[in-house]
Amino acid sequence: MSEMLAHLSLGFGVALTLKNVALCFVGCLVGTLIGVLPGVGPVATIAMLLPITFGLDPVGALIMLAGIYYGAQYGGSTTAILVNIPGEATAVVTTLDGHQMAKQGRAGVALGTAAIGSFVAGCAATLIIAALGAPLTRLALLFGPAEYFSLMVMGLCFAVVLARGSILKAFCMIMLGLLLSTVGTDLETGQERMTFGFPPLSDGIDFAVLAMGVFGFAEVLRNLENPEARDVVKSKIGRLLPDWNDLKQSAAPCLRGTLIGGTLGILPGNGAVLGPFASYTLEKKIAKDPSRFGKGAIEGVAGPESANNAGAQTAFIPLLTLGIPPNAVMALMVGAMTIHGIIPGPQVMTKNPDLFWGMIASMWIGNLMLLIINLPLVGVWVKLLQVPYRLMFPAILIFCSIGIYSVNNQPVDVAFTALFGLFGYLLIKLGFEPAPMLLGFVLGKLMEEKLRQALIISRGSFMTFIERPISAGLLLVAVAILVIALLPSMSKKRDEVFTE
Amino acid sequence: MSLNKIEAAQGWRVRSTQDLAAGLFMIALAGLALFLSRDLSTGTLRQIGPGMLPKAFAVICAGLGALLAFNSLRYNGEKLSGWSWRGVIFVLGAAVVFGLTIRGFEIGPLKVPQLGMLVSGPLVVIISGLAATDVKIKELLIFAAAMTIGCALLFKYALGLPIPLAPWLLGI
Repeated sequence: MSEMLAHLSLGFGVALTLKNVALCFVGCLVGTLIGVLPGVGPVATIAMLLPITFGLDPVGALIMLAGIYYGAQYGGSTTAILVNIPGEATAVVTTLDGHQMAKQGRAGVALGTAAIGSFVAGCAATLIIAALGAPLTRLALLFGPAEYFSLMVMGLCFAVVLARGSILKAFCMIMLGLLLSTVGTDLETGQERMTFGFPPLSDGIDFAVLAMGVFGFAEVLRNLENPEARDVVKSKIGRLLPDWNDLKQSAAPCLRGTLIGGTLGILPGNGAVLGPFASYTLEKKIAKDPSRFGKGAIEGVAGPESANNAGAQTAFIPLLTLGIPPNAVMALMVGAMTIHGIIPGPQVMTKNPDLFWGMIASMWIGNLMLLIINLPLVGVWVKLLQVPYRLMFPAILIFCSIGIYSVNNQPVDVAFTALFGLFGYLLIKLGFEPAPMLLGFVLGKLMEEKLRQALIISRGSFMTFIERPISAGLLLVAVAILVIALLPSMSKKRDEVFTE
Repeated sequence: MSLNKIEAAQGWRVRSTQDLAAGLFMIALAGLALFLSRDLSTGTLRQIGPGMLPKAFAVICAGLGALLAFNSLRYNGEKLSGWSWRGVIFVLGAAVVFGLTIRGFEIGPLKVPQLGMLVSGPLVVIISGLAATDVKIKELLIFAAAMTIGCALLFKYALGLPIPLAPWLLGI
């Protein structure tokens, strides 16, 4: 306990410098600014804003990125409530009751509840991370290559099961991501692999190029194709602060949501996406009058929004302690950290404690900022939502282009990104959901390295993965989750969850 | 998704062009990967060579693709929908133009000087803007100028990134 407090005070010492608070503030602000745009989810937002952190020192850059992440998350909820367009899967549930509340002239209360719920969840999640960070890191140091490999296999299995749409197609995307990760120079022999003899490819496919092509450009193409019916709320926003009655109604759902979301978020493999669904279902089940749900019940906003934010934050745990990103957003964070010369993993906490704890402390500050900046700025977001798409996407494009160019100062990267944009558009057309691919791509290199190490240690015997108890346990969980998901009764339920 | 007896009795035919195309796409990509990694040694389990994983992943991709294509004959699913070439050409073309002009390039006889962001920026906005079906030229031109100035101030001056603005005119 005292250790945790010492760590937190170190963190706040780092995060509360004027410069870092300012960076956190700017991050939250621009994150929300971009995240609010309909059709721009957190992944695209972070990919787009990555270059503005390049000139900063690593601590400042990560604090700003974390701010951008929360801002993007909250911006997505704002869009869900005001326009009925969820920026990403986790905001889908918010549209159900949030947008109904907005239609009844209670948009302000819905936004305020979402902000307060997110703040409460954020506070709890910060404490969870601070408490679990040290012990999990110690656990991670016990992991050998075999355990790491099995853990990543398990993470990818979770990602397959929790992806939207067909399981088979999600599986395809993971494998395609893994395949793409093998492009480039082989680390051990120095041989070029699948590079077409083209020099820019010998370092492998650049992560920012892939992410921005598939999530920036391809999303634009997808949105251009479906002229959106933007249902911006016409009625008044109303007052922002929930009254006593609203607070009383939303307090318990908020706490339950935090617990559910925070727990699911720790799972490797995008458990965070389940949080809002689980919370909504629970609130509906235990409500005295379930028929109110879907018609603007405040519990239906408070619970899922808290779960959403708690999960978004505890998803940092597998990344910071094990170095394994659980979802596409965290995969982007890995890319960002690597650009700043930090390899995520258990060694971060021991080698750069100020970075680790500073970032955790800045999470809490970021949540507070969201509360402070968003409530007065709601009017601005509403204005922004009225910008027509025909002006929005050229702006996205110039941002992306300058951003990719700035990663390596390589003009050819921009052309590559366009190529991946085409690739991403093709995937979307073929009914693939590209998010799991990004995860596979990021984990691919690490998996190959660990697999090779594990097999060298075991002298070429695959039994090592089953003989070592932790590794065997992880693989067992992976198999179990796949089997359960493929059972006919479960797959039907899964379809229901994702279509609701 | 599920198939009742009557449907099953109708025999084999393409029930989802999207899934069929997706399956064939996976197989084609796997084939390309196998072709490109044909000279890489597989090695042994004890000492994995550079070719082992690419080939293994490619084989799995091909297998999944085959399953997907096979399933498209059994289960009903989405149809392949039309392409919007307008978006593809203008949006991706704009990015390529940006890449080509920002620092200049030379491909054979074709030579473009280093134009910098003050030219490349408006080009991206205008070319990509043409992809919208409800494009308004005047609005787009003003927007392009405003965005370029905003981006120049933000990236060049506020963030200090080394982006050429207009070397041929301003020398920076």
